[in-house]
Amino acid sequence: MLNTKIKNILFKSPIILASGTFGYGYEGKDLLDMDKIGAIITKSLTLKPRSGNPHSRIHESSSGMLNSIGLSNVGVHDFCNNKLSHLDKIDTNIIISIAGSQIQDYIDILTILEKKEGGHIGYEINVSCPNVNKGGMEFGVNADIVYQLTSALRALTDKLIIIKLTPNVTNIEKIALSAEKGGADAISAVNTFLGMAIDYKTGKVSLSTKFGGVSGPAIKPLAIAKVHKIYNEVKIPIIGMGGISSFSDIIEFLRAGSSLIQIGTLNYRDPSLANKLYNDLRIFLKDNNINDINNLVGKYNEE
Amino acid sequence: MRKWSLKYIDWRLTTAYPEGWKYALKHPIIFSKDLWKYLAWCQMIDNDIK
Repeated sequence: MLNTKIKNILFKSPIILASGTFGYGYEGKDLLDMDKIGAIITKSLTLKPRSGNPHSRIHESSSGMLNSIGLSNVGVHDFCNNKLSHLDKIDTNIIISIAGSQIQDYIDILTILEKKEGGHIGYEINVSCPNVNKGGMEFGVNADIVYQLTSALRALTDKLIIIKLTPNVTNIEKIALSAEKGGADAISAVNTFLGMAIDYKTGKVSLSTKFGGVSGPAIKPLAIAKVHKIYNEVKIPIIGMGGISSFSDIIEFLRAGSSLIQIGTLNYRDPSLANKLYNDLRIFLKDNNINDINNLVGKYNEE
Repeated sequence: MRKWSLKYIDWRLTTAYPEGWKYALKHPIIFSKDLWKYLAWCQMIDNDIK
């Protein structure tokens, strides 16, 4: 009823735990029944360890969250030596998130991970990172660079390649098409929206980096619009995300064109939420005689 | 029922602070303020998604 597939990979649930909200995958494994989780996406890995941005890097906002963590992570080598083996013991799909500051970084990280022959089923490519060779412009805002990056990584692995798009572009469907053309197996949509907050009393900006990414229920309608625009253009599956907090949100994303969804910010409120949403979703499908969740994908009407 | 684990809390501190729980111990006032803001946010989110 709730199974779905990307290529030949079975997901026993359409619910995936988003990168950066569930550690490296194993920290919260005892909090959830993994039979109800389609996949866990690890924290983004970079080539070298990063401590991230200075405090303050999280700001709670109305119905959402503003963050600028700065890709704090242990680096790919430490991950391979100390964390990858833990993930093989988790009874669900593991997807490794990769970030870099130039295309070669992504290639190097993926090559290192491929050599380790872990049980992970694929990679989510975080293209919302500044490209040092293009003056710090994000990879994900340029269709040609997304194509170059995707095709370079495609040549290195048979595992899933999922491109996670930034919404901070004029024409997201054009970027999604480039990822598809480059050989991506799926699109994750969307990453956080650019945001900023200021303390109205002191005038001080809330994040040490001034700007950050907005996530949570506040962005849900924006994210759904982006997902639907992509759905109208590409043939590969979309993994929708952006403020999902209930089973009805999941169905909304499916109807907009997502095949699977990710839960992110709400894990910060309740790391066991995914299981509740799975149970609620199952009850809804049963009550409405829907035998296959895939039948909901892209099913909406304009009347 | 909501569940939390020490491992998950430890990772959350690593996300919030450059040195994780060590930063929280070194800066108890900042940590207390952040914790207070987080708890208020949880309450707000609960009301929003009801």
